[in-house]
Amino acid sequence: MTEPTPHPPAADASRRHWLHQLVEPGVLFPGLALLTLTAIWLVTLDLVEREYTAAEQRAAALTADLAETYEAQVVRALREIDTTLKLVRYSLDERPPQRVLDELGQQGMLPPTLLFEVRISDAAGNVIASTHPSSAPQSVITAAEGEGMQVALPRQQASGADSQLAFSRRLTTADEPAPAVVSVLVSAAHFVSGYELDTLGVQGVLAVAGEEDTFLVRRTGDTIHTGEPVDYANLVNGSGALGDPAQLRVNEWDDVHRYLVARALFEFPVAIVVGLSRSEQMAAASALQRDYYWRALLVTLAFLVVLTMLGRLSWKLRRAQASVLEERLDHARRAEYLAFHDNLTELPNRAYFSRLLTHGMQHARRYDKHLALLFLDLDRFKAINDSLGHDAGDELLQEVSLRLGRAVRESDTVARLGGDEFVVLLPEIHDQEQVHQVANKILAAISAPFTLAGQEFRITVSIGIALYPADGEDEQTLMKHADVAMYHAKEEGKNNAQFYSEQLKSDSLERLALESSLRKALERREFRLYYQSKLDMATGRVIGMEALLRWQHPELGLILPKQFIPLAEENGLIIPIGRWVIHTACRQNIAWQQAGFPALSMAVNLSARQFLDDGLPGDIKSALQATGMPPQLLEVEITESMMMVDMPRAVSVLQELRTIGVRIAIDDFGTGYSSLSKLQALPLDTIKIDGSFIHDLLDNAVDRSLTEAIIDLGKRLGLTVVAEGVESAEQIAYLRRHACDQVQGFYMHEPQPADEAAISLQRRIDNVFPC
Amino acid sequence: MPSRLKRIGCGLLFSLASSMAWAEVVVVVSAHNPLATLTRSELADIYLGRTSRFPNGQPATPLDQGESSPIYATFYREYLGQTPTQVKMHWSRLIFTGRGQPPRSLAGDRAMVDFVAAHADAIGYLDDVHIDERLRVVTID
Repeated sequence: MTEPTPHPPAADASRRHWLHQLVEPGVLFPGLALLTLTAIWLVTLDLVEREYTAAEQRAAALTADLAETYEAQVVRALREIDTTLKLVRYSLDERPPQRVLDELGQQGMLPPTLLFEVRISDAAGNVIASTHPSSAPQSVITAAEGEGMQVALPRQQASGADSQLAFSRRLTTADEPAPAVVSVLVSAAHFVSGYELDTLGVQGVLAVAGEEDTFLVRRTGDTIHTGEPVDYANLVNGSGALGDPAQLRVNEWDDVHRYLVARALFEFPVAIVVGLSRSEQMAAASALQRDYYWRALLVTLAFLVVLTMLGRLSWKLRRAQASVLEERLDHARRAEYLAFHDNLTELPNRAYFSRLLTHGMQHARRYDKHLALLFLDLDRFKAINDSLGHDAGDELLQEVSLRLGRAVRESDTVARLGGDEFVVLLPEIHDQEQVHQVANKILAAISAPFTLAGQEFRITVSIGIALYPADGEDEQTLMKHADVAMYHAKEEGKNNAQFYSEQLKSDSLERLALESSLRKALERREFRLYYQSKLDMATGRVIGMEALLRWQHPELGLILPKQFIPLAEENGLIIPIGRWVIHTACRQNIAWQQAGFPALSMAVNLSARQFLDDGLPGDIKSALQATGMPPQLLEVEITESMMMVDMPRAVSVLQELRTIGVRIAIDDFGTGYSSLSKLQALPLDTIKIDGSFIHDLLDNAVDRSLTEAIIDLGKRLGLTVVAEGVESAEQIAYLRRHACDQVQGFYMHEPQPADEAAISLQRRIDNVFPC
Repeated sequence: MPSRLKRIGCGLLFSLASSMAWAEVVVVVSAHNPLATLTRSELADIYLGRTSRFPNGQPATPLDQGESSPIYATFYREYLGQTPTQVKMHWSRLIFTGRGQPPRSLAGDRAMVDFVAAHADAIGYLDDVHIDERLRVVTID
């Protein structure tokens, strides 16, 4: 059962999203600007509209006002003229008409003669009296038909301004056939003399129209027209009533658009016309309109400029933010990559591999599959790193990682755990043979020659293999067991692969204990030197001692060098241990001399790594200096194989040692593969024949002949020849026969601690050697 | 001969010009009127209907000669700097809009002399040959 929801959450979210978009600067600013601009333009248009309407209303009202005034003025003028006509008619009696006019004029009863002429005409139209007697007789004024005042344009001049209007009344009653007429003549211009340019403008109109479809007079600006035809009925139609607003119309006589009032007068047969030019009246409003539009336009432009600037700023800001974000993301990605990859080889690192392995194991568990973990450690890598430098070492590691990548399938994983340790994960295997093939492929790939720092090198790898789930069901166990298997491979002579087994585990535990206690052995002073004497074959006297290293382990007892020296070689402890050996041997030698023994030679063995260590000459020198031991009493013993690793370097080291003044012996001679001819190139003092030859000397003809050859060779090269491992008087006798220089072995003297060795030495000095 | 004729013509023109220069128009008031001087603009104000009083506050009644007489044109031209047409238009406008009446017109210098002499508020103009002791010539500057 689902609960009814009033708002679907999706719709709500989309609405929120919409609102959120509204406040985005990219939307907000243009939006607000658009609203503001719309408002500005609406207000502007409204203002202009209002101004325009107001101006139109003002113009219409002004026209109506002017029309009212003009009407009043025209009506008054016409009444005054009519009054004059009536006065003259009334005043006429038996006297001559001219005299009547003169008298009226003198009494100021007539309108000013400056403008008005009063005239009396007879029935035939002849002027019989006039206020302007000198003026030439003008056109005949015929008696009008109606009873009221008649208006006529009797004489029209070219200029219009000079045209006159005649207003007349009949003097006699209507029944007389040809009535006499009294008239007032006045310039037509008089009726438009009230035209004010200030109010009516250049395009306004002031006019009086007659019922006979003519303009009696019309003025526009300073131009006065008379007698123009006009459609009277159309003119007065519509805009006649008092108080009506002026009509907007295009005047047919001059095509000007005007606010117009045309009104027929009540008492007189004329109409007044007042008009204001629309364009003139609206000029101010139009100017204002243009002004408003300009302002709105300027504001709009200013707005757009500001908006554009804001927009640009906003855009730049966003771009900057985006780039900062991108940088951070890049950094984060880089950091993540670095956290999970080895930056030298670009392979997954220990942390990443740990994940991959866990994941692989989960996968294998779920689908009931088997996987193999190969633990790789380069052989002799430390020696290469030390002798060629770290850059070459790094280069080697990179090349190794490339070769590993090529040696396995795409689906397999190669990772570097650090140093010279690599791991390979084979995610899907069916049998051990398959793993074996991969391991062999890797061994072959690594053992191909490398070119480093211009030199060709060979390096090998030891591989330990652990299988899931047989050798461990969790990551730690599997890794540990692969590691154990790898150590076993090392012990098995390196350059091979070993599968893990339970037996290996116990071995490795011992080894682990050994390693950790070896690290502490020096500081716990657990190392001892045993001494074995060397006898001169000719005199039978002790002429030298060989210092032999022993480890007095607190739990395991005395441990021989072959049990821990490989380990010390591997972890580098051999260097401080070797230093200790040289130092202790030298000190012991001096101590014996001080105790009264004759000056004996002191031989020390060098390990391979120690021999190639740059610090060796320095260590020897400082030991000699510290103890005061004469250099020629110290003899360093090296094996053949140590020299064969890097012959040129071996020669240079030996020469350096020779410079110090110490003697140099080759130990275990005969077991290696060095060509005898090479011996000549080496700065040697002594060769020591390996004990194995001496052991079989009496039974084995081959050994005998080899021993004889070595002794012979040594003699020829001017070297001291020493036989090691002498166990019987027969052997001594044989060696003496063949002129061996010195002998060393259990038969004479087994290795002893310093104090015991001193006692043996004393005894030997006291009673001479039994040989 | 043509030169003699030309000389005669020049002489005639000269005599005409001098006789016209002789006929000088002066502004007068009654001898009873204390007014001695008027500025041109004061005179124009009185004659164009802009005021009905002298500068001293006494009522003023301007008087015109006949519109067709030469002295009329001379007066308006010399003292007011206006043509008869301009004066006529001026009064036409004032009369039509109901703001005034033009000066009363008298026929001839004699009528002017008599009228001005008889009325203390009157002011007129005439040819200076008609001046007598009843009139005072007003200096216009």
